[in-house]
Amino acid sequence: MKTAVFWGCCILTSQYAYEMSLRQVLPKFDIDLVDLRESTCCGDPIKSVNDFTANYLAARALSLANLTGLEDLLVPCNRCHFTISEAKKTIQDNVDIRQKIVGLLKEEGLEYNSNIKIWHTIDLLHDYVGLEKIRKAVTKPLKGLKVASHIGCQIIRYSDLGRVDDAENPKKLDELICALGAEVVDYSEKLDCCGAALTRSHPDSALSLAGSKLKAIQNLPANGLVVSCPDCQLMFDAKQRDAGTTVGAKLNVPVVYYTQLLGLALGIEEKKLGLDLNQSPVDQLLNKISV
Amino acid sequence: MSLIDLMSMAKPNIETRDKILARLSGKELVNCFQCIKCTSGCTALKLLELKPHEIIKLVNLGFVDELPSSDIIWTCVTCLKCVQRCPQKASPYHVIIALRNLAVEKEAKVPEGYLKAVSQILETGQVETYQKIVTRKMETVDRECLKLPKINPPKQSFQAVFMKAMEEKKA
Repeated sequence: MKTAVFWGCCILTSQYAYEMSLRQVLPKFDIDLVDLRESTCCGDPIKSVNDFTANYLAARALSLANLTGLEDLLVPCNRCHFTISEAKKTIQDNVDIRQKIVGLLKEEGLEYNSNIKIWHTIDLLHDYVGLEKIRKAVTKPLKGLKVASHIGCQIIRYSDLGRVDDAENPKKLDELICALGAEVVDYSEKLDCCGAALTRSHPDSALSLAGSKLKAIQNLPANGLVVSCPDCQLMFDAKQRDAGTTVGAKLNVPVVYYTQLLGLALGIEEKKLGLDLNQSPVDQLLNKISV
Repeated sequence: MSLIDLMSMAKPNIETRDKILARLSGKELVNCFQCIKCTSGCTALKLLELKPHEIIKLVNLGFVDELPSSDIIWTCVTCLKCVQRCPQKASPYHVIIALRNLAVEKEAKVPEGYLKAVSQILETGQVETYQKIVTRKMETVDRECLKLPKINPPKQSFQAVFMKAMEEKKA
C-alpha cells in the first residue's frame, strides 16, 4: 500500500521521534509513505479564532494529498486527524461552506477530493495491517514489559464523526501493545486528557493535567507509558519535569511512542527510532526490554 | 448591595443568540434538558470551573453578551467528552468554539497564543517553528542531522487565499 502522509506542525518541527519511527516501521509492513508537496497547519489552532478558516486549512491538506494521486492519507497526529475528519464532514454536509472552500482552493490551483480516506497510526496498524501480521513480524518479543497506554482524546471522540476506536472503552492501542508480547496495565485515569490544548490559553493548567495523570501512572505497577499522539508525547515526555513541578511530584515515567515500541520488537536499532530524543527516563524501560 | 444576580440585571440578546445558533446547524442546542452529563465529565471543571451546562443554558436564554468576553470559554481542553456524551446532541464544545469565534469578531480579550497562531500560519504556513532538540546524550539535533527529508513551506499563493478565508465572517 502507498499512502500520502500529512505530518502536521508538531511532528515536523519537534516530535522527530514519531516521524523517524513511523518511517522505519511502516515499510516493514509494505506501507510506503509519500510526503506532501508542502508542510501546512491542519487548522486546529485557528478553530477558536475562525472556524471557517480552520475548515479551509483542513480541506487544503486533503487537496495537497489529492496532488499525490493517492486516495489514502495517514494523519499520525490526533488533533490533525480530528480537525481534518470534522472538516471533511462539514464540507460534505454544508453546500455553502463547500462551495466557498472549493472556490478558495481553486485560486491556488488545488482540487478538493472527498474520496480520500483518512488513517491514523492506530487504525492503520490495527485494522489495515492487523494484529496477526504484527505478531508474526515480531523478532524480539517484549516479554515481561508492563506498560500503561494513553490513546488520547481526539481520535476516539466524537463517534458520530467515525473515529479510530471506541469513545469510552478504546482497546486497539492495548491490543497492539499485547501483540508485541508486552502486558498492558489498566488504570482509572486512562481516558484523562493530557491538557495540550490548554497551552495557548492556560499553560499552567495544561501542565497540571499532564502532571496529575503522570502521577497516577507512576503509582502503577508499570514500566512506562505508551502514546500515539505528538501533543500527548510533548506533554508527558518533553514537559514531564515542568508537569511534575506543577503538581508537586517528582515524576519519573518513561514515555514512548507506540511506533518506537513496535520498532524495538521488530529488531530496529534504538537510534533509528529516535529513542535518544525522548526526554523522559526511557533508559529504564529499554533496560527492562534488553534483560 | 451584597449579592448581585447577574441574570436578573442582564438583558437577553436574541439577535446574538440566533447568530450563535446559526453557526451550530445540526447541533440541537435548544434540546438541552440540563442532565449535566457534560459538566460531570468535563476535564476543565476540576481545574478551571468550566460548567458547560451553564453555558448552554445562558446561550439558550439569550444571555450571550457576557460570555464572549469571559475567560471561561478559553478554559475548554477540547477533549470532546461533552460532545460524545450529550444525549440531546447539544454539543457544548461546538457552542464554546462558536463563542470563541464571536469573541474574536467582537474584538474581546482573546488569549494571545491564538492570535499568534494566525500570524505564524500566515508567515510560514505552520504554527510551530523548527526546533533543535537536545538528546538525553546531550547532542543537539535537527531534521537535517536526523536525515529527515525537507518539506517545503506553502507556495507564495497561499498567503492571499488564507487572508481571504480569514475575512469570511460567518462559517
